[in-house]
Amino acid sequence: MSQAAAGDQQATISNAQARWELENEVQNVAGPADLDALYRYDAEEQKALLASKPWTRDPHYFKRVRISALALLKMAMHAKSGGNIEVMGVMQGKIADGEFIVIDAFALPVEGTETRVNAGAEAYEYMVDFLATNQASGREENLVGWYHSHPGYGCWLSGIDVGTQMTNQKYQEPFLAIVVDPHRTVAAGKVEIGAFRTFPEGYKPPEEGPSEYQTIPLDKIEDFGVHCKQYYSLDISFFKSSLDSHLLDLLWNKYWVNALSSNPLLNTRDLVAGQLADVGKKLEAVESQVSSTGRMGRFAAGSAKKEDGKLEQVVRDTARVAAEQIKGLSTQVIKELLFNRSCGCGGEHTATAAAGGAVAAAAAAGGGGTAPMET
Amino acid sequence: MQVDGEHTEHRSSSSGLQFQLHPLVLINISDHHTRTRANAGGAAAVRVLGCLLGSQAGRTVDISNSFEMRLNPGGGEVDIDEAFLQKKMEQYKQTFPQQDVVGWYATGAELTEADMQIQRKLMEVNESPVFLRLDPSRDPSQKDLPVCLYESELHVLNGVPSFIFVQSKYTIETSEAERIGVDQVAKILPTGAASGTNQLTAHMSSMHSAIKMLISRVALLHQLLLKMQSGEVPFDHDLVRQAAGLIKRLPAIDSPQFGADYTTDHNDTLLSILLATATKGTAACNDIVDKCNLAFDRISLKGGRKGGGGGMGSTIGLGLPLGMLSGGPGFL
Repeated sequence: MSQAAAGDQQATISNAQARWELENEVQNVAGPADLDALYRYDAEEQKALLASKPWTRDPHYFKRVRISALALLKMAMHAKSGGNIEVMGVMQGKIADGEFIVIDAFALPVEGTETRVNAGAEAYEYMVDFLATNQASGREENLVGWYHSHPGYGCWLSGIDVGTQMTNQKYQEPFLAIVVDPHRTVAAGKVEIGAFRTFPEGYKPPEEGPSEYQTIPLDKIEDFGVHCKQYYSLDISFFKSSLDSHLLDLLWNKYWVNALSSNPLLNTRDLVAGQLADVGKKLEAVESQVSSTGRMGRFAAGSAKKEDGKLEQVVRDTARVAAEQIKGLSTQVIKELLFNRSCGCGGEHTATAAAGGAVAAAAAAGGGGTAPMET
Repeated sequence: MQVDGEHTEHRSSSSGLQFQLHPLVLINISDHHTRTRANAGGAAAVRVLGCLLGSQAGRTVDISNSFEMRLNPGGGEVDIDEAFLQKKMEQYKQTFPQQDVVGWYATGAELTEADMQIQRKLMEVNESPVFLRLDPSRDPSQKDLPVCLYESELHVLNGVPSFIFVQSKYTIETSEAERIGVDQVAKILPTGAASGTNQLTAHMSSMHSAIKMLISRVALLHQLLLKMQSGEVPFDHDLVRQAAGLIKRLPAIDSPQFGADYTTDHNDTLLSILLATATKGTAACNDIVDKCNLAFDRISLKGGRKGGGGGMGSTIGLGLPLGMLSGGPGFL
């Protein structure tokens, strides 16, 4: 028990309490690893939760999402395979007190465009069919939501998405919307993912503090701004089974080559160019605003504050782009030093020295570069 | 370079096929196993079966996805529900049209007679299916993945032609998004706002461990070569040729073309960093000008006059990054 508990601790500390509660509900605590209890599906418990419908009373009932490693991988890969086209799929899982647990995901045969994706009747047919076969193979999990990709413009719900999600929440509760940005995933080196639920129609959310800032291209910002008060985002955490972590540990033995051979700069060229162009447009917008208010004089402190916010946002956008670029370049610098230096004497010593030097140099460059940008 | 554990008790394959295994498949099987076990109430010996999806290009088989198979109820261990299998295949064909069934998987510690029966059944779908066996029992001393790939070959044993399993080698292959996803789930990064420094640190540490791995492999090779030189271990010409090949390959790319491209890349990055710093500087300037304006306005209000100079300051501050920016995207 103590060993298993120690293993957990490193996996998710933040969810310790939630899991403790979960363990106490599960009968077989003596199982090999209590983390795997998340994979258990209790039809009775789910039925009871579904029947009581706690989410109808509190629009904020669901606060957290837990996504399995498998579902995360599948969604990220499917989103990436779509390229610049939006793709979508649905997720299977269960619900617990105030949280969704996403166990698996599968793709839907839906052709999207570069800016929208919507499921037609065929997709729904496919979905039902797929779920039926899944259940036949002993997978009881319900449909808990849908995911789709936003290639290159961040994780948020557009007007169409809000409409889709509202319909789903009306007829298919409990339902969750997840958005993945494959392009930014590659740029940032982590899966860019957001989980959302809409508020019921007519509900006015309490005024919240400023939500986490994210970069949204100028041509989408209107769509974002109009609808951003109609939904809220949920906290996402990930989990993996004990066998998963065992396999992943071993995988590294074969896998480290990929970490060295990848080149983040190469894959994100278009995205970076797009982001820089966007920064340019935003700066122009800010400039015209500043100069016009400048001529009018500055008596109103309130309006001045707002502009600063805009400029501040541009600063964050550029800082983000620069940080990603530094990361990409540092990889290249390290590789250049490792494999491309003609050194007369072979042997491990030079390799070690070169590696050490590269890391130090890159760290210095990275530290020097990012330090002034961090706000 | 890749040191794959080759079990000696099995024959190795002679088909010359190369198998590339994606981590998603491993996670999928592991997930299938865990879920089945969790739902079976903790019974340890649950065997799960499924189909492997992938594509073949030339002699390379890329195994990139998998789905579950179902046994006919009450039909024993090898009785696969074929109608179910067909249905699933059609479904996956709709979403991933380029993927076909290339084989099947099962969990288990060793090969059994039942495996061969299933293998024969799968031959109706793919004439030479590959069998992936994953051993879910965790052995801490094991350093290699507990995964074995088998092909079946027709051999004549004691005068009777029969199929036997032969082991095949495989390599791990990933796509870009898969790599990032695997990295993320392997470490379970906190999902909160990843600032530039956080990202950089994570990236650097993964580079560091990769380089450490590289160094340890090189050191191992170096030691072996030294021992060969001193005659402690027999001289392996094949290995030495490979090692010589590796050394000859360094430096990896040493052409002026590469140098130019590398410098361009370098400069592009520096430019975008300059843009970020300049924008930040401008924002700070703007801030100061605003504050000055406020103070100046107060004074001028006291004096009964309106100030006009302050407004200009903030526009001057913005001139710099805009000029740079018109060049910025063009460079990249």
